[in-house]
Amino acid sequence: MLELRHVSKRFSGIPAVDDVSFSARPGEVTGYLGPNGSGKSTTMKMITGLIERSAGHIVFQGKPIEENLIAYKRRMGYVPEEPYLYTHLSGLEYLTMVAQLRDLPARQSGTRIDGMLRLFSLHDDRHASISGYSKGMRQKVLLIAALMHNPQLILLDEPFSGLDVGSSLVLRSLIRELAARGKVVLFSSHELDTVERICSRVVILHHGKLVADDSIERLRSLMELPTLEQIFSQLAVEQDTESTARQIADLIDA
Amino acid sequence: MQFTNSSPKTVDLLELEHLYRSFRGIPAIEDVSFKMAPGEIVGFLGPNGAGKSTTVKIITGMLRPNDGRVLFEGQDIAKDMVAFRAAFGYVPEEAHLYSYLSGLEYLQLVGRLRGLEEELLETKATRLLKLLNLESWQYSPISSYSKGMRQRVLIAAALLHDPKLLIFDEPLSGLDVVTMRLFRDLLELLAAQGKAVLYISHVLEVVEQVCNRVIVIAKGRVLADARPADLAKLMSLPNLESVFAQLVQQQDTRTVAQEMVEVMQIGHR
Amino acid sequence: MHKLINKLAARLPLDFRILYHQFLLRVVDLESLSIQADIVGYLGQFSGVLIMLSLLHAMVTYIGYLTFSAPADRLAFCWHMEHYLISTTMLVVGLITVISWDAAFPDRRDVMVLSPLPIAPRTILFAKITAAAAVLGLAIVTLNAASGIVLPLLLGTQPGPALDFIQSFAAYWFTILAASAFLYGSILTIQGFTALVLPRRIFLRLSAILQLAAFGLFLGVYFAQPLLTDPVSLADPRNRWILASSPSYWFFALFNQLNGSWPAQFSWLASRAWIALGLTVTGAASSLLLCYIHTMKKTVEEPDLVPGAGGLHCMPPFGNSLQTAVALFSIRSLTRSRQHRVAFAFYLAFVFALALSLLRGELATPAPAPVSMDLLISAFLMMFFAVAGLRNVFALPISLTANWVLRTTQLRPSEDYIAATRRTLLLLAVAPIWLLSFALSFRFKPIPQVAIHLAVLALLGGILAELCLIGFYKVPFTCSYLPGKANIQLVFWGFVIVMIAFVVPAAQFELTALAVPLKAAFMLSALGALFWALWIFNRHRAKSAVLYFEEIPDPLITTLGLSV
Repeated sequence: MLELRHVSKRFSGIPAVDDVSFSARPGEVTGYLGPNGSGKSTTMKMITGLIERSAGHIVFQGKPIEENLIAYKRRMGYVPEEPYLYTHLSGLEYLTMVAQLRDLPARQSGTRIDGMLRLFSLHDDRHASISGYSKGMRQKVLLIAALMHNPQLILLDEPFSGLDVGSSLVLRSLIRELAARGKVVLFSSHELDTVERICSRVVILHHGKLVADDSIERLRSLMELPTLEQIFSQLAVEQDTESTARQIADLIDA
Repeated sequence: MQFTNSSPKTVDLLELEHLYRSFRGIPAIEDVSFKMAPGEIVGFLGPNGAGKSTTVKIITGMLRPNDGRVLFEGQDIAKDMVAFRAAFGYVPEEAHLYSYLSGLEYLQLVGRLRGLEEELLETKATRLLKLLNLESWQYSPISSYSKGMRQRVLIAAALLHDPKLLIFDEPLSGLDVVTMRLFRDLLELLAAQGKAVLYISHVLEVVEQVCNRVIVIAKGRVLADARPADLAKLMSLPNLESVFAQLVQQQDTRTVAQEMVEVMQIGHR
Repeated sequence: MHKLINKLAARLPLDFRILYHQFLLRVVDLESLSIQADIVGYLGQFSGVLIMLSLLHAMVTYIGYLTFSAPADRLAFCWHMEHYLISTTMLVVGLITVISWDAAFPDRRDVMVLSPLPIAPRTILFAKITAAAAVLGLAIVTLNAASGIVLPLLLGTQPGPALDFIQSFAAYWFTILAASAFLYGSILTIQGFTALVLPRRIFLRLSAILQLAAFGLFLGVYFAQPLLTDPVSLADPRNRWILASSPSYWFFALFNQLNGSWPAQFSWLASRAWIALGLTVTGAASSLLLCYIHTMKKTVEEPDLVPGAGGLHCMPPFGNSLQTAVALFSIRSLTRSRQHRVAFAFYLAFVFALALSLLRGELATPAPAPVSMDLLISAFLMMFFAVAGLRNVFALPISLTANWVLRTTQLRPSEDYIAATRRTLLLLAVAPIWLLSFALSFRFKPIPQVAIHLAVLALLGGILAELCLIGFYKVPFTCSYLPGKANIQLVFWGFVIVMIAFVVPAAQFELTALAVPLKAAFMLSALGALFWALWIFNRHRAKSAVLYFEEIPDPLITTLGLSV
């Protein structure tokens, strides 16, 4: 189980994340939502150990992560939102490098990588340079790199971006399958329909604070709103998009 | 099986006539035809490798078809590419931009390339950036923008010259919830203004809500061209996703997912 | 030997080895090059060139040594060669440092890719430093391979014990390594401390300026420093300030001190070398350590976006909207892309060196001076390097995947785009050089001759621009570059050789023509006619040209061999 206990982060005194506490349990897919500027990506970076918290603790399977950050990273798989890759390598070279850096036995990792490349329909292009890959292909490389070491904690930030329908559906099933096998899955996205389908619980951030942390059914009955999108709009959206859209349309016409 | 239910006879803005294109002898698209009327939002769906991007490249003039033609307002675009280019706006799927330029500089570049008058360009560019919540960052280089911000710059660039035809390839990708809503409201208004929108996406739920018509393409051929509701009814399937899965003979994703987890755990220690 | 290295290497931790290999490939920042280059091939070619150079040095040293018979002359010659070898090594190290400017520090991508992996940050640090040091080490060793044996050998045969060879050899290599460490260390120190102290956005801007400044400094000092290796000049109090501030002389002194052949009165120079070495090594080490602890976090922690200040966005129009668009795009691409800046700086360095040598010569004579060959030759060569250099840089692509926007907005005929490119070339190369010459010309008399010279220069600039643009039917920086197009460099250097052969007689002709009005008129009209003819020729061909974004050369160009 992953727990955040009173986690805060300040940038030059301004709190980006303010006293956030929630937990993500094994066997569940926890959705993680928030508009831009809500502190969502900052929290994600803290969970992945990329930046340090100003206050509070992040605890995984009972141990605070800073106790042994390297051991924690061994059991964590992270798919970031922005696809940072070494583009001068081929897909296979990059994945092999990651496997080696993760200290996986060569033969095993070779088989795993090969199998996953096939299942993601990337096998034919594995020797081509990543600089020539489409967005979807890069996303698949990131996914394989994050899953190849059979992590216990899986963090996904907009993992569907760039994937075509077929791969999206496969990924959707994959996420459910991973949760079913007892892993902790934290899934962040702006596509609320997808979140609604996959996740059992959601955590919603707004202005750095937690505004919801519940199962979707309970939220629906509590707020008497049928869809996650409406719940989210109520809790975290402030802009009147219709009038802005009208202004844009008028401006273009000028 | 062909499921067509085209719109009633109005002046078509865009018409694709029997397009054929092959690469090194292998056909990428065969006999692709459809029409778009002003005010329509047409969804364009298909798995990867189906010929979607080839069709879009032909429409935007980056590729020439081996056979068939594209008509804009009745005229073959190959005869007057310049006039056609002035009338369409395109947001590609991958947001490739000159990232060392600032948001405003990029819009100025596009506006000047399109021959927009300086003052008008200045007004439009700054106000568009403001309406899309990019005002505070209009002078920062695009390299520092998030994916969603780059997407917004591209959307602004496509709208600057008041085009009649808009082609959006995965326009919501990277956008946050608020901007997604804004964009969808905007699409409705643009369609109401009489523009035609070609909307390419993999997010079927949104396509179902936004588009008047959908065109499904697979293995280089058009398989369906009808309203989403009509399609679902015709095929006795509950939603667009199942329609799509059936048309495209999607593999059983559950099995694939299970296989994948097995592979992940090979030699589990 | 190979097996031994492999065995030793196998003892190092695996992640270090993997990262070292990755970073080695990226030392020369090849990722930002759009050319799919073969790294090992490049390194191989590069070392090959340096070894050839070293053999050349060794030969020159040996032959030069033999031409002198008196021991005093021989010693003087050896000292001269020592200094030359030291300062050349420092130049090469300096240039490599400039080209691999950020290789020692992790960039955002490294942090984002490697942080989620179970690797200790210090492994990343050591791997990066080792990779950078490996490339530098390779350069130093290959450059001094031959000369590093010949010179100590020759020095060792001076009257003295046989052990002198070993001492000279050790002294030579120690000095070379110390001088390189000094140079590299000072760059690292400056980079490290500025990264520490400044906010990241300002640091990145400053870093770009520093890179160019370093480039100019290294080249300038190398070409402009006077030769002071004989004891008379060394003792001369007037030269003391030059010696005191010139690192190549410090290390020259160090070498001789270690070699045991340095007079005691000059030991202050050698101690400077020791102090400098100590300072830069500690400075570099501490800045790197602090950087890794501090900056790696800064890179990630800084909120991704900082509202920027409005830059110079009120630029004057450069003509119609297309011309303005292309000109501004070219200026911004040139100034904001590191690789293009450095490439252009390479050509500008020649301009700079020429202007400097001219100024140095003319500063000696009192103003105003009569129009001389120096002025004419340097003006021609500056114009040539600027125009041809910029044209070469225009062929280097930038963000190729983003050029779809140019293709889908091609609303005007190709000739308008080509005209816009011409205008940009004139604006960015011909105009600045002409203005520079104009400024320099105030020192010369008589005014009518100077005026005619400036007119000739303007016409020459136009002619060069038209020549460079034959077959160049693209928007600057937007066309792909075929791999293996090494002949572009061959063509350029071929032109340089032709130019150098041709420039002296041409300058002589002009000098005589300036004095005789009739000849001057003839010269001007001939140049004018040539310019006009080329202009018409290019315009005519542009009408039927197609703007291209992928490298498919025009058949005419391939047959003429003018290539890219």
